[in-house]
Amino acid sequence: MTWIAHIVTTTMVCLIMTVPIAQADDGSPTITVGTQEVGLTAGYMFSHRLTDLHTTKQHGPAVMPSWMITLTDPIGDSWYRGQISLGAEMVYLEFREPLVTHGIGFTPRIKYTFVALGRVRPYAEFAGGPFWTDLGGRIREEANEFNFVLTGGVGVSWFITPQLAFNAGYRFHHISNAGTAYPNLGLNASLPFGGFSFYF
Amino acid sequence: MATHALRWSIVGCIGVMLCVGTGCTRSIELKPSSAELQPVESHSLANNERVPLVMDSFHLLRNGAPQNPSAEVERRILNKVQETRLFSTLIPLGAKPDSLGEKIVSARVTLDETIEPHSWLSAFKGIVLGGSMFLLSPFVDFEYDYAAKVGLELERWDGQVKRYEGISSGTVQYKLFGATPVMIDELKGHVTEACLTELTAQLVRDTTLYMASSAPVSNPGIRSVTVRAQRPSTTLPTRLTVPATTPPLP
Repeated sequence: MTWIAHIVTTTMVCLIMTVPIAQADDGSPTITVGTQEVGLTAGYMFSHRLTDLHTTKQHGPAVMPSWMITLTDPIGDSWYRGQISLGAEMVYLEFREPLVTHGIGFTPRIKYTFVALGRVRPYAEFAGGPFWTDLGGRIREEANEFNFVLTGGVGVSWFITPQLAFNAGYRFHHISNAGTAYPNLGLNASLPFGGFSFYF
Repeated sequence: MATHALRWSIVGCIGVMLCVGTGCTRSIELKPSSAELQPVESHSLANNERVPLVMDSFHLLRNGAPQNPSAEVERRILNKVQETRLFSTLIPLGAKPDSLGEKIVSARVTLDETIEPHSWLSAFKGIVLGGSMFLLSPFVDFEYDYAAKVGLELERWDGQVKRYEGISSGTVQYKLFGATPVMIDELKGHVTEACLTELTAQLVRDTTLYMASSAPVSNPGIRSVTVRAQRPSTTLPTRLTVPATTPPLP
């Protein structure tokens, strides 16, 4: 997993170094209907055992490449003025505890971005989709390998240029199998993350 | 077994190609359609019959709210007017021409845009598409409406004012994966072009109105002012002017 962290760090450092300083003074980004966004986000997952039946202390890094498309022009005239984007995300998780296992999923993702603050744009997002992990079946919370992942969270995008933004935020992760097998207690986790997005 | 796999692979490929093909489409519908618009027939006027056109003002409204008009739009309108070959020179806003002569035509332009992006409906459709894992993408259309009304008011050198108006609207229909900011620019470009074509067609019909020989120059330096004595009100007491002294007779 270390090599992924190295790649992400190197990419981000390269992007910062290649962004001309003069562009930092440019105006707010112009994001309209049809503007696309590709991004790469990484974070670390910390488990939440919400009941006494939950015993697994799963934790580990997460990498989430994503693609989104802007569906609307800014809606509203007040502080809540914002835009809705729809897209998809790949989720890769490495569980380091209780066993070194992996998980991968594909989730449609919807995001509401507040645009009233100009270059600093908070957002709220929600995503959910199928998720496969070989941790399933080895712990008491999940009976099988095929699961679903649901995430919801908030974040903030800081536009370095009208095309490039750094993101940071928090997500709550829930993994369960929707009752397709028992037990199905589900795994819950917090996922603080950081990353960048490119708009075109 | 191999034949079976090959058959399903071909079916799968065709299915994916159909989904991608239909999921990336977009189309623009104009009212009136470009086919209905007659091309502008420019009249060949003699050079001495052409007069300069000077932009006097340019107002831009978007959904009823005043906006800062762009020089790009102004240039486009002037270019379209230039195609009529009715005027000798076109002077944009803020430009200071050297000498234009006595006969000039002043232009006042208003561009009233109406944009309807159907944001809430698009958001709802987006949720439906996300919930379907994008499988419904080839079957769900998004829409973006744009309408424009270009008004051109020309004031001739003798003070005669005539107003022209071009109206057009259009809708771009697109699938999710066919969306791009360029399509909005394309829609606005087509609608504006239709407006300007209609406008210039009206303008060309009045070619004789803007010929230098069509009217003499009214001299702006001589203005007749009619001054009337104020009629005294009946409610107020009238003042009688009486000379204070009478000059002695010789």
